[in-house]
Amino acid sequence: MPIQPAVNPGQVDWSGENPGILLKEDPEGPFSAMALFFRIACSPVGPGQALLLYEKPQEAASLPGAHNVMVSDNEALGHYLIDHFIAKLAAFAEAPAYGALRHLPAKAVRSEGDPRSAYAEIVETADFSVELRWSGLGTPVALELPPSLTGPKDRELFTVLVEAREAAILVDGRQLPGVPVPRVQAGIETTTAFLYFSESWMIPPQVAP
Amino acid sequence: MSERARTPVNRGRVDWTGDNPGIYLKTDEAGDWSALALSFKITLSPHGRGRAMLVLGAPDEAVGYPAAPNLCIAENDSLMRYLIEGYISKFPTFRGRAGLAAMPILPLDEAIQEGSYQSVQTETVKSGGTRLAMTWRGLGAPFAVEVSPEQSATGEHDMYSLFMEAGSAGIAVDNQPLPGQVVKRPFFGTQLSSGFLAFSETWVTPTPAEGGA
Repeated sequence: MPIQPAVNPGQVDWSGENPGILLKEDPEGPFSAMALFFRIACSPVGPGQALLLYEKPQEAASLPGAHNVMVSDNEALGHYLIDHFIAKLAAFAEAPAYGALRHLPAKAVRSEGDPRSAYAEIVETADFSVELRWSGLGTPVALELPPSLTGPKDRELFTVLVEAREAAILVDGRQLPGVPVPRVQAGIETTTAFLYFSESWMIPPQVAP
Repeated sequence: MSERARTPVNRGRVDWTGDNPGIYLKTDEAGDWSALALSFKITLSPHGRGRAMLVLGAPDEAVGYPAAPNLCIAENDSLMRYLIEGYISKFPTFRGRAGLAAMPILPLDEAIQEGSYQSVQTETVKSGGTRLAMTWRGLGAPFAVEVSPEQSATGEHDMYSLFMEAGSAGIAVDNQPLPGQVVKRPFFGTQLSSGFLAFSETWVTPTPAEGGA
């Protein structure tokens, strides 16, 4: 429930949409493929759209052998997200792919479908396309998380979570291996495939520079 | 680091979420609003997704476009009617406005966003030869707002949003600017320009146990 004061004293870091898919072939093993999409309405480096893809999370390599890439229509935003957000998400920052990422320009970005049923984000570069697909979508839930319940641990979060029971990552039409697995967020049993809409990150005053 | 205590999961029903910037103009700072406009980019609702823009250039005239500049252009008609009935008609600025009931809802052919909040941002929608545009200039730093029903514009919902206030803003119907300027208005204990961007906005109907609608 909203708390007082109505105007959050924190400094807005970024705000927008942030759906993702994390897949495993073995529920007890490492992630086999990972993707986060960003449609950012505001950030310190402006708006934009970006896709972080780890085709091979366990390889410290990028193209041509592995689509471990950050694709964006605002390169400064792509770097900002990697340096100031992804770096604080253990599942992504500790993967070998993190240090090998290549930044590429997006040629076209679009969403399809309806988050009540099935939804997709499609990102095209000059050389390949990536499609993220979510289906089996659940009831949307509004979350307002204190820093301790977030990945970065240093900021508050408002967001709307729509969980997906099925999801796929496709590179040039080729489906990457793995399926979503269970996870718990703020006490909710959900999955590693999710839509996040209207997501805003606020850095509390004692942390904000 | 201490953190503010929160109930992390809002148990209410998420009604809709998206962007909802607005511009309210006055020709006389002490008088009533002379023109009102809202833009919508909805990513999730019971009626699906969609973009829309609503302009009341004659808010208190029970006359619709083209006789008066009261009209709406919407991509998703059922979504727009849901927003008007459940939300816009309950906003204090729009409540009881004769123009709201009289305005036609035209189908959206094209929606264009130009510029950026970093300089000048313009949103334009077109329906056939009809064109609506909203422009914001001199935008300030974003800040987050969260309110319960007793403070929200409908009086019924929890609402989360980010705002940026505009130093100046304008509304145009068929390329003709509507008269008036933005003014400062009370806003949760401070003063905010009546030209504003509002994005990542979520409306939630609280569960009965929480004392909501």
